[in-house]
Amino acid sequence: MNPALAHLLTRLYPRAWRERYGTEFEALLQTGRGDLRTSANVVWSALGEHISPIRSSKMDQSAHSFGAIMKRPSAFLPPAMSLAALAIVLGYVAMYGAAREPDEGSAAHLWQLLMAGQMPVLAFFAIKWLPRAPRQTLCVLALQAGVALAAMAPVFFLNL
Amino acid sequence: MIEDIASICGTRLGPGTLYGAIARLEQLGWIEPLPPEERRRPYRITAEGLRVLRAKLATLQRVAKAGVGRLQAL
Repeated sequence: MNPALAHLLTRLYPRAWRERYGTEFEALLQTGRGDLRTSANVVWSALGEHISPIRSSKMDQSAHSFGAIMKRPSAFLPPAMSLAALAIVLGYVAMYGAAREPDEGSAAHLWQLLMAGQMPVLAFFAIKWLPRAPRQTLCVLALQAGVALAAMAPVFFLNL
Repeated sequence: MIEDIASICGTRLGPGTLYGAIARLEQLGWIEPLPPEERRRPYRITAEGLRVLRAKLATLQRVAKAGVGRLQAL
């Protein structure tokens, strides 16, 4: 195959894949046939590697560490929302006391919105990350659940 | 490797398919890379790979034997 075409086809793969296999793969392409069928096979495989990376967990372990996953918006947003909800409850209790009001005020509505609003984010996070890095994802989910429980605790214990 | 597979199976793998298989086998720990020879990199089967291959071949052998036996009975 033409070296320029081999290089171009290799460039279709994700960077992490190229870093591991790029040199040898390009060498293989250069020594092989340069027909349309071969090119189509490479394009199809490169597309598959983008959609479902075979070696992502080994080649890019740091991207699947607990810290790296926690930097994802879908990982840190739910705890942030729970913390905001907790701050609202504590702020409300500090200002108005823990007496139960017959009518729910804006603080209660905000708390409900924050707690309910994180559910789709949590579901998205679990669906996306559980198959990729189960152990780290479970740790993040446990953290998210812990912070959510902390936000619910004052409402439960103070009968708000 | 592509020629070897073609001569055994009669199917010619594309380079993308071949490297997809190599990446999977390496991820599973069934093959391991050796030091590169110029721009090429040879691979060898691991002890775990040998164990799995033996088990798979034994299964295939049983399936083939059962299939041939049933075909002969028809």
